[in-house]
Amino acid sequence: MIEFKNVSKDFPDGTKAVKNVSFKVNEGEMFVIIGPSGCGKTTTMKMINRLIDSSEGKILIENKNILDMNIKKLRWNIGYVLQQIALFPHMTIEENISIVPELKKWSKEETHKRVNELLNMVGLDPDTYRDRIPSELSGGQQQRIGVVRALAGNPDIILMDEPFSALDPISREQLQGDIVKLQKEIKKTIVFVTHDMDEALALGNRICVMKDGGVVQIDDPATLLRNPTDEFVREFLGDRKDPWSELVSELFPLTEKEIPPAYDASSSLSASATVKEALDKLKKVDDDSIAIFENNDYRGHLSYRDITLYLEKNRVKTKGGARS
Amino acid sequence: MNVFSIQTFFQLMNTRQDLLITALWEHIQMSLISLLIAVFIAVPLGILLSHYRKGAEPVIGATAVLQTIPSLALLGFLIPFLGIGTTPAIVALTAYALMPILRNTYTGLKEVDPALMEASRGMGMGTIQQLHKIQLPLAMPMIMAGIRTGMVLIVGTATLAALIGAGGLGDLIMLGINRSNNYYILLGAIPAAILALLIDTVLRLTEKKAKGSSLMPILVVIGAALLLVITPPVLNTVSSFGEEEKEEIVIAGKLGAEPEIIINMYKLLIEQETDYEVVLEPGIGTTDVAFQALISGDLDGYFEFTGTAIADLLGEEVVSNDEREAYEQAKEGMYDEFNLVFLEPLGYQNTYALAVTEEMASDLNLETIGDLQSYEEDLSAAFTVEFADRPDGYPGIQEVYGIEFSNVQTMDPGLRLGALVSGDAEVIDAYSTDSYMREYDLVALEDDENLFPPFNGAPLFREEAILAYPELEDILNQLEGMITEEEMQEMNFQVDENDANANDIAREYLEEEGLIQE
Repeated sequence: MIEFKNVSKDFPDGTKAVKNVSFKVNEGEMFVIIGPSGCGKTTTMKMINRLIDSSEGKILIENKNILDMNIKKLRWNIGYVLQQIALFPHMTIEENISIVPELKKWSKEETHKRVNELLNMVGLDPDTYRDRIPSELSGGQQQRIGVVRALAGNPDIILMDEPFSALDPISREQLQGDIVKLQKEIKKTIVFVTHDMDEALALGNRICVMKDGGVVQIDDPATLLRNPTDEFVREFLGDRKDPWSELVSELFPLTEKEIPPAYDASSSLSASATVKEALDKLKKVDDDSIAIFENNDYRGHLSYRDITLYLEKNRVKTKGGARS
Repeated sequence: MNVFSIQTFFQLMNTRQDLLITALWEHIQMSLISLLIAVFIAVPLGILLSHYRKGAEPVIGATAVLQTIPSLALLGFLIPFLGIGTTPAIVALTAYALMPILRNTYTGLKEVDPALMEASRGMGMGTIQQLHKIQLPLAMPMIMAGIRTGMVLIVGTATLAALIGAGGLGDLIMLGINRSNNYYILLGAIPAAILALLIDTVLRLTEKKAKGSSLMPILVVIGAALLLVITPPVLNTVSSFGEEEKEEIVIAGKLGAEPEIIINMYKLLIEQETDYEVVLEPGIGTTDVAFQALISGDLDGYFEFTGTAIADLLGEEVVSNDEREAYEQAKEGMYDEFNLVFLEPLGYQNTYALAVTEEMASDLNLETIGDLQSYEEDLSAAFTVEFADRPDGYPGIQEVYGIEFSNVQTMDPGLRLGALVSGDAEVIDAYSTDSYMREYDLVALEDDENLFPPFNGAPLFREEAILAYPELEDILNQLEGMITEEEMQEMNFQVDENDANANDIAREYLEEEGLIQE
């Protein structure tokens, strides 16, 4: 879908922001790029919609070099969500959302319908919010509009540049949950930049860890947690032992499968086991979830995702705004 | 001066309604045209500079330099290039409004949040779309603030345009200053202030309406302003400007009743005996303005004094205090130096004088200028800028009479009289025929050392004009030696104090003398 082939970026001041980076983002996947500040993650993302042009290498979308595409059409088909939210303060919510549809010359009715649909999708009543201006909305609501605005033109790709980092912890958590749900519904390819490992673990289908302009490791969250390639990634993942020693019962309720499985010591676990033990068990089984029993009663299946979402939530509660 | 009376003010407003309406209309047109031009230059330039930021500071700096030039100096500076009248006034006013509009446009655009610019770029907007949908609407309050500042500057400065013959409310203010009549000053100043407030309100409402993404209301107001300035009155002035080149003779007079009366006499005489049309430009600001306009060909002639021609225009010393010899010197000098023809002079002299109140003259026993020397420590003087500067003015008094006043203030001709009446000054320079000499019982001290050169008024014309209209010479020379000092004082008094029309006074005199038929 999106492919980076030996891409580098040198800025005129001599900074080598990105060094010979190659990776593929699959269709419909949430691809999280993470790294400390100055690692080149934002530069990498902005090269996709050509806010920054690469110095070397190729970036392909659907096997076509983006430099050969019409730059406006390229951008109309890539939604863009900014850390600063950047809703246009002089326009109403509806006008803000309608920008790309209007640039794409959709009809008025079509655009209007799309605005209603999107506002409903993020739980904002169209009749109440359509004619408001951005400053009348809370930060969390504003970024919902920011996300919706990026979706408006029905793009195949969405770029999110630390979209939730300016929000308060509660709004951030809500929006993270929303975006996971949304992703399941709309199946867009999302490239998500963050410096927050918990966010990356909670959201990413795959996580790309960057350092000093290069890619260190690209893996799904579970693999990343189990097998960090080097000390840098390990440190970046940080000390997550405390929440891990909580009991699995803390994670209830779990998703229950329709047909309750029988207890099997190799693929099942007691609710009184710790999260760490659950993860170890998950590593051993040939599945991405395990059955959990409490006093011989089936209570549902526990997946990697359940664990990472729990860790994220837990971190917010126990450590406040601390960052890995 | 008397206590201000509202009643008198409204009476004056009533009687001078026509003058007020014309002046107001000229003022509105001049201001709006200048403002529109300034907007059309400064806003696009500001947009351009926001893209090429390196050029911004030098360009804005240049407009700031324009701003520092005193308005009268700028108006005077433009005369050699653009002549007198509305055109140089509009150019100068436009120059004044450039800086605030340009700076605010540039700053307004520059200060649009970079995140918004990146968001709109990332959404696939082009430069023009960004400008139209994002930058201009967001910068609009700043831009409008600049336009409003520029507008106030223009409406205020436009009052000075009267000095170069552009008319407007400044005509009334100059008239008031010249006659020391506060009612006239207010009749010009109050409508100017109201006009500024009114336009400001319109602009503010426009800005309010334009909140959001639409630029429509602004375009509507610009359109309405355009319509207003190209309505018939402008067409009239434009067409009369065009005809000027043909069979019209343009004659000017400097600020004041006396030149206006005299040039009205010229007009009456010329129009009686020929088919030419004479256009008068009374109330031209200063000697310099009138002279520059004559040299540049904007005027065919104006009414000038021999003494001024010798001292100011030729920069010479007067060879003799004999009237005739001084006239010959002026005539030769003006012709040799500038190809200008001095026709025959009138009979009276309007020379400089030092004036004091009659009361003080008798108290201190003052008769001649020399008598002032004993009191130089105790007296303060109020002089015109011109008198304080010219060699035959105060510097001459210091040299010839050895008098140094303890305190010398320079001010406008009309204001120095006020200073005398209010007791802020005891000695002023005066013109011997001015009506206030009579009005306020002033005494002109005798120039016993013959410091002041003879000041005989005469028509000063371009040689080309005389060659093109050869009849002029004989027609205007009919006035040679006419009009005594007393007659002139009386006529000035009629116009200045009794508010008589200069043309009527001129006609009466010429009829009495049998120079024109009734």
